Amino acid sequence: MFRALYFKEWREKAFLFFFELGILVLLLGQFVFREKTDIREWLVYAVLLLFFPFAALILGAAGFEAEYRQGAWAYLFSRPVRKPMIWLAKYSALLSMLAALWLVFLAAWLALPEFRGLVGDPRLLLGFRIEPGFPFWSLWQSVFLLTVAFSLSLLHEKQFNILFLSLLAGLGLTAAAWVALMSKAGWRLAWITPSKALPAFLISQTLMALAFAAASILTLVRSDFSQSRKQMLGFIRWLAPFLVLAVAGTGAWVRWTPVQGDRFLWFVTTTGGEPHYMTERGVFKYSAQASRIQWLTKATHLNIYRASASGGKIAFTAFDIKDRNDIVEELWVEDANGGRRRIIGRGPRENEWPQEAPPIADLLLSPDGTRLAILSANAYGKQRPRRRPPLWIVNTDGTGLENLPDDPALFEDLSDRYYFHLVAWAREGNAVLLSKRSLRRPWTFSLWLYDLGDRTARIVLDNAVIASWLSPVSPRGDRLAIKYQRPFDAPWGLALLDLKTMETTDIAAMTGEVGQALFQISWDPKGDRLAYVVRRALSGGQNVFVLAVYSLLDNRTVAEKMMTRSESSALLFQPSWASEGAKLLVLDREANGLKIFDEGLREIDQVAFPRWLDIPGGLYAVGDQVLIEDEKADSLWRVDLETRRWKKLY
Amino acid sequence: MSELLRIQNLSKTFGRREVLRDFNLAIESGRVYGLLGRNGEGKTTLARILMGVIPADGGSVLYRSRPIAFGDSSYKREFGYVPEDPFFYEDMTVRGLLAFNARFYPKWDRKRAASDLERFTLDPKSRIRTLSRGMKLKLGLAVALAAAPEFLILDDPTSGLDVPTRQDFLRDVIRELAASGTTVLFATHLVHELERIVERLLVLRGGRLILDEDFDKVKAEHQASLEDIFVRLVAGA
Repeated sequence: MFRALYFKEWREKAFLFFFELGILVLLLGQFVFREKTDIREWLVYAVLLLFFPFAALILGAAGFEAEYRQGAWAYLFSRPVRKPMIWLAKYSALLSMLAALWLVFLAAWLALPEFRGLVGDPRLLLGFRIEPGFPFWSLWQSVFLLTVAFSLSLLHEKQFNILFLSLLAGLGLTAAAWVALMSKAGWRLAWITPSKALPAFLISQTLMALAFAAASILTLVRSDFSQSRKQMLGFIRWLAPFLVLAVAGTGAWVRWTPVQGDRFLWFVTTTGGEPHYMTERGVFKYSAQASRIQWLTKATHLNIYRASASGGKIAFTAFDIKDRNDIVEELWVEDANGGRRRIIGRGPRENEWPQEAPPIADLLLSPDGTRLAILSANAYGKQRPRRRPPLWIVNTDGTGLENLPDDPALFEDLSDRYYFHLVAWAREGNAVLLSKRSLRRPWTFSLWLYDLGDRTARIVLDNAVIASWLSPVSPRGDRLAIKYQRPFDAPWGLALLDLKTMETTDIAAMTGEVGQALFQISWDPKGDRLAYVVRRALSGGQNVFVLAVYSLLDNRTVAEKMMTRSESSALLFQPSWASEGAKLLVLDREANGLKIFDEGLREIDQVAFPRWLDIPGGLYAVGDQVLIEDEKADSLWRVDLETRRWKKLY
Repeated sequence: MSELLRIQNLSKTFGRREVLRDFNLAIESGRVYGLLGRNGEGKTTLARILMGVIPADGGSVLYRSRPIAFGDSSYKREFGYVPEDPFFYEDMTVRGLLAFNARFYPKWDRKRAASDLERFTLDPKSRIRTLSRGMKLKLGLAVALAAAPEFLILDDPTSGLDVPTRQDFLRDVIRELAASGTTVLFATHLVHELERIVERLLVLRGGRLILDEDFDKVKAEHQASLEDIFVRLVAGA
């Protein structure tokens, strides 16, 4: 029976199908024979955004057309066949026609690399970047529109009305879902991240399609087809609760289902020996005193987060999002214990605030936490003379905002483009250290000192960058760990830069090939010692990775321990000082545990990882408490070195 | 004779118009029933409810003592239906319509279908849209007969037929069906048509049956033609 109904539909709609197939082949043929890229791009838009939606709508709207046009519905319904099977056979036939059209598209997608490139690349619909690859979003949208049109075709005999209504319902609901979910409109939807928006959109379409399908099946099974008004009311009565459920289901899915990239846990900095973590819900630190996490801000959409070396202050920028066109970046400062939070700037709407895009590119708190250096744009090129200088200074109470003039020395070549970052305050708060990289020569990088007194800049070191993006400055705030190449194609070296005198002290150098810059530094809590991992070349071309401790009191490396021959294992070591500097911990994924060393790097103990820790990473020790991130689950665990008890903190 | 179909308290309303009201009927197998009623009295509505095309507002229908719900389909394999308006899929051919229907009926008789096409002078290759109303009615009848139904509902099928075909239909087809034991419900407003074939007479008025008697008994009681009896019954109420 299903076959009879299915093939009847195919025979009935064959003309429509071949007509649509002809148009698709014509469009794809145009793509093959046209050479201009922009015309080809428009052809891709035409196929994905016009052809498939309308092809699906027209097919769907023709669903019950024969029964209405030829008055055959009474005849069909008097046959010994269940009505859901009539619905299913018709829908399957239409869906297979749509699938055949998509197969033609797939053939073109597979056969034409340029077509594939344009399909995967364009920014479609409100600037949202569609994931490269096969356009499943368009496939799904056409299935959705076919379902809506088919469901509505049950109700009315006028084809044009059905098409128009389907267009309004299908595209209207699509547009509403798209705008609501994609544009982050309003505070209520601000928690939706772009990575979640596309799946949420597809889920909403699926649920809405199911709502339409369920309403139309129930109408077919239970309504009186001889009374169109009753039939229409029946359809609406069924559809309304299903649509409410579909919207609620979408909301629930978006609210409760974590999507990759939506949930995150990043170790952002340390201050006063306490680690700070940024999450999608805000920032927290681990409080050594209270032995628990303490939320410092529940602001979402955080951008830059910094802490002062003394541990007294934190500063961060966060986006206040009203809608797509009303996004304001705010600059906040607060005490590192969570108190005295104040907003000291809202840019870029306010005139006196740095007006650049992005408004704030980098921040740096002075070691005592009283001042803030701001970089308003980190990329500078030809337009620089027409823009405001990028360096700003402001007191952390919000007063004394000052735009510092550029020193022409910073821009040797005005036709080049430079990227800047704030590195450290130097000379007891009288200068700021900047790192600079050229776009034209990306392998060249240098450290510059900007003097806040005479407003001049001078180069400190060529081919040198900070050794760690997390905590390169010693706890005392007087030394900066840097890595350098002398010359730029030589193996990397590790050095300390005295932030008062600007003198450097070499600590270690990697030997062997140039390759990876591998110094996983960790300052001890007092700032007297620096642990690091370095590569040594052995005879026969083999490498070994060594854990070492450099003492600032002795001015030499005081202990070394050969750890592994595997670079990938060495990259995960992340040494961290525990027990007030009496122990050094290393995360060893090969041994699936923590290795514990004494000050002389003698291995004294191991802590095995529990099986629930999927991908251990992000090691940081506070006293005898060790914090370890689970990189898969984005969760934070604590293990006590004395009791070996594990506890989930986040 | 066993009871084939029982209709209890059936009601159906279109807008404010009550077409069937507490309609009750028992149909015994193997008999030919003539259902008379003026236009709009509910004959087509009753046929459509029995065929599961439209739902009833109330009441119940039992087929061989088993209740039929709106949406049931298996009982229709034993029901034949020739609708008043012969609307089929106009783009199909005569042969296509027969092949389409053959899949639905387990007792489908191909030979009977072929011989009926010949008998009704229907060309299997003709498109349905090219057929006249009368030819379409014949095609509907051929489909219904090929399904070898236990119960055949004829909803005013002769109104579009020419006189010789109508004679042939009434004289031969209905008699054949009656002889084979098929139960027939012949709904019409053309009273004289029933005279030669009907065994039991049903008269519908105001949504209810006002007469449910053996035709011979009715004729004996009234001593008049069926047309006179019908007019008297309808006018006298």
